[in-house]
Amino acid sequence: MPMVLLKCDKDIPEREKHIYLKVDGEDSRDFLPVSNAATLPGTLSERGCAFCGAKLVIGGVLKDTIQMIHGPVGCAYDTWHTKRYPTDNGHFNMKYVWSTDMKESHIVFGGEKRLEKSINEAFDEMPDIKRMFVYTTCPTALIGDDVKAVAKKVMSERPDVDIFTCECPGFAGVSQSKGHHVLNIGWINEKVGTVEPVITSKYTMNFIGDFNIQGDTQLLNQYWEKLGIQVIAHFTGNGTYDDLRAMHRAQLSVVNCARSSGYIANELKKQYGIPRLDIDSWGFNYMAEAIRKICAFFGIEDRGEALIADEYTKWKPKLDWYKERLKGTKMAIWTGGPRLWHWTKSVEDDLGVQVVAMSSKFGHQEDFEKVIARGKQGTYYIDDGNELEFFEIIELVKPDIIFTGPRVGELVKKLHIPYVNGHGYHNGPYMGFEGFVNLARDTYNAMYNPLLKLAATDIRGPVSTRFLEAAE
Amino acid sequence: MGCEITNRERAGVINPMYDCQPAGAQYAGIGVKDCIPLVHGGQGCTMFVRLLFAQHFKENFDVASTSLHEDSAVFGGHQRIRDGVMTLVRRYPNLRVIPVITTCSTEVIGDDVEGNISACRKMIKEEFPGRKVHVVPVHTPSFKSSQVGGYAECLQAMIKTIATSKAAPSGKLNVFPGWVNPGDVVLLKRYLSEMGVDATVFMDTEDFDSPTLPDKSIHTHGRTTVEDIAGSPNARASLALARYEGASSAEYLKNEFDVPAHVVPTPYGIGNTDALLQKISEITGKPIPESLIRERGIALDALQDLAHMFFADKRVALFGHPDLVIGLAQFCLEVEMKPVLLLLGDDNSKYKKDPRITEMKATATWDMEVVCNADLWELEKRVKSPDHKIDLILGHSKGRYVAIDNNVPMTRVGFPTFDRAGLYRHPTMGYQGAMLLGEAIANTLFTHMEYTRDREWILNTW
Amino acid sequence: MNTEKIDQLYGYVQERCLWQFFSRSWDRQENIDGILKAATDLLTGKELELETPMARLFYADAKIMVADFKQRFPWIEEIGPAQIRDLMHGLKDKLVEFTITKSLNRELNHSLY
Repeated sequence: MPMVLLKCDKDIPEREKHIYLKVDGEDSRDFLPVSNAATLPGTLSERGCAFCGAKLVIGGVLKDTIQMIHGPVGCAYDTWHTKRYPTDNGHFNMKYVWSTDMKESHIVFGGEKRLEKSINEAFDEMPDIKRMFVYTTCPTALIGDDVKAVAKKVMSERPDVDIFTCECPGFAGVSQSKGHHVLNIGWINEKVGTVEPVITSKYTMNFIGDFNIQGDTQLLNQYWEKLGIQVIAHFTGNGTYDDLRAMHRAQLSVVNCARSSGYIANELKKQYGIPRLDIDSWGFNYMAEAIRKICAFFGIEDRGEALIADEYTKWKPKLDWYKERLKGTKMAIWTGGPRLWHWTKSVEDDLGVQVVAMSSKFGHQEDFEKVIARGKQGTYYIDDGNELEFFEIIELVKPDIIFTGPRVGELVKKLHIPYVNGHGYHNGPYMGFEGFVNLARDTYNAMYNPLLKLAATDIRGPVSTRFLEAAE
Repeated sequence: MGCEITNRERAGVINPMYDCQPAGAQYAGIGVKDCIPLVHGGQGCTMFVRLLFAQHFKENFDVASTSLHEDSAVFGGHQRIRDGVMTLVRRYPNLRVIPVITTCSTEVIGDDVEGNISACRKMIKEEFPGRKVHVVPVHTPSFKSSQVGGYAECLQAMIKTIATSKAAPSGKLNVFPGWVNPGDVVLLKRYLSEMGVDATVFMDTEDFDSPTLPDKSIHTHGRTTVEDIAGSPNARASLALARYEGASSAEYLKNEFDVPAHVVPTPYGIGNTDALLQKISEITGKPIPESLIRERGIALDALQDLAHMFFADKRVALFGHPDLVIGLAQFCLEVEMKPVLLLLGDDNSKYKKDPRITEMKATATWDMEVVCNADLWELEKRVKSPDHKIDLILGHSKGRYVAIDNNVPMTRVGFPTFDRAGLYRHPTMGYQGAMLLGEAIANTLFTHMEYTRDREWILNTW
Repeated sequence: MNTEKIDQLYGYVQERCLWQFFSRSWDRQENIDGILKAATDLLTGKELELETPMARLFYADAKIMVADFKQRFPWIEEIGPAQIRDLMHGLKDKLVEFTITKSLNRELNHSLY
């Protein structure tokens, strides 16, 4: 009976198909949560929309690109100041957002002229910027504005600019995931192969599915530089528009986030014969394995071993200090999808932490195959978990710490459970060797926060608060 | 010299000042107790707004979505409204109000919200006899107005649906402060109580600042009850403190139930607070108590230390909610600062005719510009330009990089202020609010003097 | 005896290897075939051809897996090439069954990515 109908779901019994409890003697041939399926209305699902998957997650990371959002102002407002992906050029990507500010008359008469005007204005106002993504939103998709034609017209009039259009209305698909897909496929079909990169190394790769959260990309890039590997394109952490147009020239695609960006790696393999290597960038064990594989591919194993040895010397003692103190901690992970399978084993192997429940907002069944294969028995695996389910799961598994977003973090604080930001991190980066020490440190600091004990104290109860008497 | 009223001339927006209508509607909705707003639209319209509230308040608020998917976009989202409402009613046994908030997509599709709500009411009656859940249609297409209008719309819609009849006079006042912080609500309630005036603040957001308790209970929700709303027609009068977020509800109660409506100056600064208290005194016949005279005096005493020494002639740019920006511009004048730039961020054509702006226009002896339909790029361009010489920015956190990149001191005020700790707890309204804001401004300027080595030695002896 | 050994190897692959869970059935099949062949060659001392990018990829994945096999399952160095080939066949069959033929993943056979 490993599919679970929680008490809070008695009125929405469909939810049973989405919650799996791993037990002995069964495997993913027998049970696999339904995922990437329509959301039940009114459940207080955590999901976002396709537009957010395209703009906020992938496109908006680029450091040299105007993000023109064709729709009412809210879609722009909401996907601005909600991410922590810095760049090495002063965070242009986090400072600005652009909207065509659609009003009723544009809905009635069409918004193409408005879009054209907004595009030209944006380039005029920021003359140093020559690249742009244009996104559709719910209303502009519904009224059928031809954004590709507008982009083409502007490009013909302004030969120095390049524009990519992404049709990702919020109602498309069932979650952010649809937006990832549309952007991946659109980009490979329309833009990859339109720029030739300058090759500076015998070894070249694309690094795909890492968005420089708190500097992840920049940290990992130190490794690639030490190994002498040229990263043709970062998809899309700290990346540039034109780098991504040159992805076809890499010898290897290394994929971290297979959910948001696996599509482009698959297409690069299919269309250009570039092999796809999936890795985990979080955790010592995994990071070392990833470096070994990449180096084996290029035949530079010695460099890889030297790098790993250096990093272990530098960081392993620090990690072990935390492991000693975190052993046996029960963790829940409620994030987007891939971090479930990236983290469940790495926190176990590297930190001695047991992951007891995991919920994915937009993972597909592939993600559940991965996480169930890696995760423990007695752990809950949840697709599209909602608020009442979270309360019930907390009662069932009693986690000591939860890796999730800030809003849910605020909620569980009331239950005396500390949270660490599983999306934007507390104090990252968390990738790589140094990064995983950061994750361990933030976990430790959360777990050993003295306020937690104070929160649990009812001072009306028996006196237990210790105080020091003044010296006689 | 004088005040010029301009408009953003670009079609597009770079860095919006306001979110769209459904966001404002959600904010009004969470102010009600036992209420979960249901946003009829894509999931992002809810998820991001919940995140925005969480960023500002460091709290979680419940808002549901009908999770519009492609099939609904083609065939209509009727079933999703019904499923959404019924799922909420079934899973949340204490739920009493569900505002159904439309968005751009569902307004374009043209879903019959009222018809579906009627169907929901019937289903609720059949399945839960004896239980009353108010399902409120709220039309807030994102392509009209902004979060400002959306707040007003949802507030009025809830009154319209729940306050259906007039009963015996309650002698109470309805107070509509608009979209303000819990700190302001606490202050207003205290003032009313000190005056001995029985009043209901719509929305009572005091518990948006909620505790972590030993028993792990969660109290993060609005305090305005169904009974409060249902009783609003019985009030002695309505006071709209926010012209653009509360006046329409006061007007509605006047037109429908003959509740006298007073649109008073938003009580930012000493003079505006004086006007509010005098109006309350006039309506209720209650005198202004000694305690408030004393509080007024303390604020004046504190601000006088700052005004002509530190604030005088400082050129201030203000942006945010219209009633806040206009009210704070008036406050600036009280403390001898010059509000040289006011940014109002949506296409409401009434701002230009706001009597408070008209008055400033008539009396300004310095260069002043009011930019309507503004975005924060308008702010950035002016802050960068040597002509404007902005000394201080007053506004919310979305403008933080204008200040950071241009090295201009900025005091956070309004919504959202996610990059400063605890601001939602402090009042900006009233005497105390004026004092606290004045002191926050002073400390911002002082820190700036220190970090830029700009006569920081002045403070050696202050 | 082989069943138990195959289960051990399979347990390792499930826990460690992302290549078995690529998006589509043909990618999974290609990975399983390529990596297990390279691993068999490595374990039986056969020279690997590393001419094509895909061959180098399979080698990279197989190399790390084989090193782990040797570390975790010392018996693997005691048995002869014939048994290695048997075991790897068995492992392959099991992986194909679990991740392709009997997988409940509804997206495995979509014709597009």
